[in-house]
Amino acid sequence: MIKIEALHKTYKNGKIEVAALKNISLKVIPKEFVAIMGASGSGKSTLMNILGCLDRSTSGKYYLDKVDISSLEDNDLAAIRNIKIGFVFQAFNLLPKLTALENVELPMIYAGAKHKERKEKAMLALERVGLADRIDHRPNELSGGQKQRVAIARALVNSPSILLADEPTGNLDSKSSKEIMGIFQKLNEEGVTIVMVTHEMDVAEHTKRIVTFKDGEIISDKAVLTTIKAGGNEL
Amino acid sequence: MNLTESIKSAFRNLLANKMRSFLAMLGIIIGIGSVIMITSVGAGSQSAITADFDKLGVGMLTIQMKNPNKAKTRDFLTLDDTELIRKHPEVENVCPYFQGWGASVKLKNPKEEKESLINGINEDFRFLSSQELLYGRHIIESDGKTKSKVVIIDEVLAQKVFARKDVVGETIAVTLWRGTYDFTIIGVSKNANAALESMMGDQMPSMLYAPIETVNDMYRYDYVDYFYVTTKDASSADQTALELTKMLETKHRNEDAYFVKNAAQDLEMVNNILGIITGFISFVAGISLLVGGVGVMNIMLVTVTERTREIGIRKSLGAKNKDIRQQFLIEAVILTIIGGVIGITLGFLGGIGIGSAMKITPKISSLSIIVTVGVSTIIGIIAGVYPANKAAKLDPIEALRYE
Repeated sequence: MIKIEALHKTYKNGKIEVAALKNISLKVIPKEFVAIMGASGSGKSTLMNILGCLDRSTSGKYYLDKVDISSLEDNDLAAIRNIKIGFVFQAFNLLPKLTALENVELPMIYAGAKHKERKEKAMLALERVGLADRIDHRPNELSGGQKQRVAIARALVNSPSILLADEPTGNLDSKSSKEIMGIFQKLNEEGVTIVMVTHEMDVAEHTKRIVTFKDGEIISDKAVLTTIKAGGNEL
Repeated sequence: MNLTESIKSAFRNLLANKMRSFLAMLGIIIGIGSVIMITSVGAGSQSAITADFDKLGVGMLTIQMKNPNKAKTRDFLTLDDTELIRKHPEVENVCPYFQGWGASVKLKNPKEEKESLINGINEDFRFLSSQELLYGRHIIESDGKTKSKVVIIDEVLAQKVFARKDVVGETIAVTLWRGTYDFTIIGVSKNANAALESMMGDQMPSMLYAPIETVNDMYRYDYVDYFYVTTKDASSADQTALELTKMLETKHRNEDAYFVKNAAQDLEMVNNILGIITGFISFVAGISLLVGGVGVMNIMLVTVTERTREIGIRKSLGAKNKDIRQQFLIEAVILTIIGGVIGITLGFLGGIGIGSAMKITPKISSLSIIVTVGVSTIIGIIAGVYPANKAAKLDPIEALRYE
């Protein structure tokens, strides 16, 4: 699924070079649920951006579904983001003028799907996250948890190979956080591969594997022995 | 992203900021509006002037003496010249014309009087002028041969003298400088100058038309003021004019004595001047289009900056650079096209307003609509390319971080 070999990422800040990632190697196999932990500045967000094809590594290899991502052009990266990757952000990143349904339709518009197919698939995705009754609401009419569910539905709608979540519960209260984690767990059980960045241990414990970063390097990579069930009651 | 989605999204964004969108297109509206208004009024006046010239008879040549003050008796144009001119193969109609001098003609029957002018013409006059008869008949060849005292008057005069219009067969007394003669009315013409005459009232002399032989006879005068000539082919009128002048000079044994005026040349000149004025004003109005384009570009730049985060989101979801470029370009083009359409509508309404004040019908051609819509599209593209490229080139990570 995901294979990273000897990945480096260096930022140039004026004349000073800052190494954000140092010789990272990592594998994620299908149906895994991985948490990436670390303090801010540890390089975990940089890794997310590279995994999400939003950024390129300075050196090293990145294979997604056996495709060598490091050698692709901008347009191909956009297509990979569109079809193979589903993004969930801390700040939800919904378009405020669009309804929930229209927000979920967006990735399919860029995939070139027909109007009818888009509506149907977007409906299904919203049903999957339990928001079928909110399809015509705009983001400002939804609670934080509901917004994040719309974002998850949007990330899922093109049936991506992997779901990347960057601090998905960072802007949510604890109750909504639990709900969202419940959704992730349910999706993972249904076979969705998930990589999630978080700095909260209690969130990470909902996953199956925790990779910890420090100063651009992996310092630990452990399976979670007893995964906490979010108890996703209605789910 | 296909075109339909881009267009839908563009409308959504333009409608979300109605006031801003309107202000952005205002420059285009004013620019296109004024160009359309001016060209439609210009084209309207051109066709009005052309129509006026048509009434006078375009392609009509007027032959007259070049220098009547210095002319010798033998230079004077005479009735005989009619036949000479008629012999030219290109000539279709020829009408000798003489206006009774001493100018005023008085009518004494039944009791009203009116200043009038008596004009001597021949049977070809009906083909050369726009004179329309309401009643009776035109002057025919035999009227001239027999020097009949027959006359065509206009409806205004008929109304004034007889208090009715159908006065064919009535007799009027025409007082000339040498005496008073009774004329039988054979025709009543529609008054082409009704508007002018109603303003000038009695000051405006009425026109009487009688056979030129009759009028010449009454004045004891054998000469002709002008010849009105129409040619078979308007395009060769200038050549024909030259040949006619030669023929007359040979006959009258003189040189450089006659002058031919081509009515088409006057029309061309007037239309040229009008065209230059219209073109110049349109050019000035066109400058406001340029300013309008800059306004659109400015707003698009603001829009791109404002929507940086949206661009980042769209890119993270798989939008390619060209998708983003297309989205903003289409927004700019739609802005200018809508501005253009509003401008065309307002410009045409303005044209109708000005036109009704000037008593002309403004003309808007499909060509000018196509051109102005085309121009506004091009302005939209030019104004949109830079902001759209700027949007397309945004780095997705930077854009996502933008607050």
